[in-house]
Amino acid sequence: MTGYIIRRLFTAVIVTFGIAAIAFLLLHALSSSPVNAVLGPKATPQAIKAWNKTHGYDRSLIAQFLSYLNNLLHLNFGYSYKEGQSVTALFDENAGRSAYLSLASLFLALIVAIPIGIAQAVKRNSVGDYAVTGVTFTLYSMPSFLLGLILIQIFALDLHVLPALVGDNITTTWGAITHPLELLLPIVTLAAITVASFSRYMRSSALDALAQDYIRLARAKGLSQRLVLTRHLLRNACLPMVTLVGLSIPALLAGNLLTEVLFNYPGTGLLFWNALGNEDYPILLAYTVITGVLTVIGNLLADIAVTVADPRIRLG
Amino acid sequence: MAEIGAEQVVEGVPSFGSPNVSGSAPEGGEVGFVASGWRLAAREFLSNRLAVVALALLLFFVVFCFIGPLVYHTDQSFTNVLASDNGPSATHLLGTDDNGFDELGRIMLGGQTALEIGFLSAAIATLIGTVYGAVAGLAGGLLDGFMMRIVDVMLSIPFLFIVLVLATKYSATVLEESILLGVFSWLVPARLVRGEVLTLRTRDFVIAARIMGGTRRRLVLRHLIPNALSVVIVNITFVIADSILALAYLGFLGFGLQYPAASWGDMLGNAQTAVSSGYWWLVYPVGACLVAVVMSCNLIGDALRDSLDVRLRRR
Repeated sequence: MTGYIIRRLFTAVIVTFGIAAIAFLLLHALSSSPVNAVLGPKATPQAIKAWNKTHGYDRSLIAQFLSYLNNLLHLNFGYSYKEGQSVTALFDENAGRSAYLSLASLFLALIVAIPIGIAQAVKRNSVGDYAVTGVTFTLYSMPSFLLGLILIQIFALDLHVLPALVGDNITTTWGAITHPLELLLPIVTLAAITVASFSRYMRSSALDALAQDYIRLARAKGLSQRLVLTRHLLRNACLPMVTLVGLSIPALLAGNLLTEVLFNYPGTGLLFWNALGNEDYPILLAYTVITGVLTVIGNLLADIAVTVADPRIRLG
Repeated sequence: MAEIGAEQVVEGVPSFGSPNVSGSAPEGGEVGFVASGWRLAAREFLSNRLAVVALALLLFFVVFCFIGPLVYHTDQSFTNVLASDNGPSATHLLGTDDNGFDELGRIMLGGQTALEIGFLSAAIATLIGTVYGAVAGLAGGLLDGFMMRIVDVMLSIPFLFIVLVLATKYSATVLEESILLGVFSWLVPARLVRGEVLTLRTRDFVIAARIMGGTRRRLVLRHLIPNALSVVIVNITFVIADSILALAYLGFLGFGLQYPAASWGDMLGNAQTAVSSGYWWLVYPVGACLVAVVMSCNLIGDALRDSLDVRLRRR
């Protein structure tokens, strides 16, 4: 067990190093020096050369990569000359609100998808099962912003019960938490797309669990359906969800990006989108590295959690 | 070998399951015509009604987008500001967009590029992935380990973000967008093909073919490729679906094709303003087409997986 975790940690470190290398090479290929952003388009070649020299952009690629790695280890993601702030400070400012959006929608998705999946498995091949499968399959094939637009159309423009955009008054994470009505649509949009993929897995894992002998035994003992489902099925059928939550981090972050842009919700996704428009590469590459590392951590935690949660999996 | 087998039949002691050499019906009962694997797969696929509907829908969209403009003539190159954002009418069945282009005609045109980019990026991804995976699987050892770590690293970087970063520079033409999406979609096929090659190498029928003196060429062409092909084909449909979705995201975020070219994704770029101005015809028809095509591809992929995987095939 310990050996397995150590080996997994080792691979995770190597993969993280690889991510940093790819991000650095990309940054170099797209914009080798932020000098144009600093000095403007009319700068003389001499001024550009001098600026590159004083800021270390004339060094060899290896030397620059090593100092880039050193900075990453100190959580220094570079400086955005366009925003006039360090990238770390910008992320620090926005990450809390994005994390809140992600976690709230993930939580909502789980408490919706788990019962739906179990209900579908219990009533498999019924009209209800097919209907839910149809809905989730449609959501699964739908761009998340389109679902968001439909929700805006219904709840904001037609019924006038919820705001179409997140207001400017949400400036802090606490502000986001204390304005649940304004965040309802973004959270539901993001959760619905997640439910679409989670419930499909939940259905098949509940189907597998239902066919197991311990369920038959529980039934034979004369337990009620409710007790069989809550005491015996739920825990076992949820095991694959542990892995799925860990693996869903990239999808969740991508969903965050689109939802934040659609609802104008100030988070890291919106920061990334604005940086795309400004071609602000330090922010873009920092975000790519951070999402990559979060993905690695998610995979790692999923693997470890499943070996802890499931005594049948004991890797040497 | 063959002589001994023939002798046994003549002696009249055929074991159960032995090939029916003499041509008469075996004692065990009727043996139906055993079709080739592909024909069986096709039969299985066609028995899945939902998949047939999805395939028909996909074919309909191919015809609609590529043949449609020949029947439904619209002007898609000159803007007409006086006729912008008009609702559906007899002259413009789905209204006009903010440049005065006929929306139905634009959906056909945008569908062409969306389908082209979907298929082209899937072809690129499959080609790279198959070759990469096959080389890694056949090479084994250190090279395999190194090649697969590269795949691990690239899979850890979320697809949408790295594509968006590069889209700031390269997303102006159909070819550029196809390459951009294809170059980051080959990782899953590479893993699948490598896994297939690794298991196939140790399967009994491959070992048997090798023991019987099959050349390396024969092993690869007759046994490894046809058997690994099914996972690749299934994956193609999912890559097409994902590429068309990614295209929609790129368009929505403002990194679509260069004007006047358009794809369904680009047409949804102004969806937000269109919805808040009440121009529903600029959002929902094109959105429905996009969802229909993506859903068809996903359904076809699911059905192909069921029909091509012998282990999942119902008897």
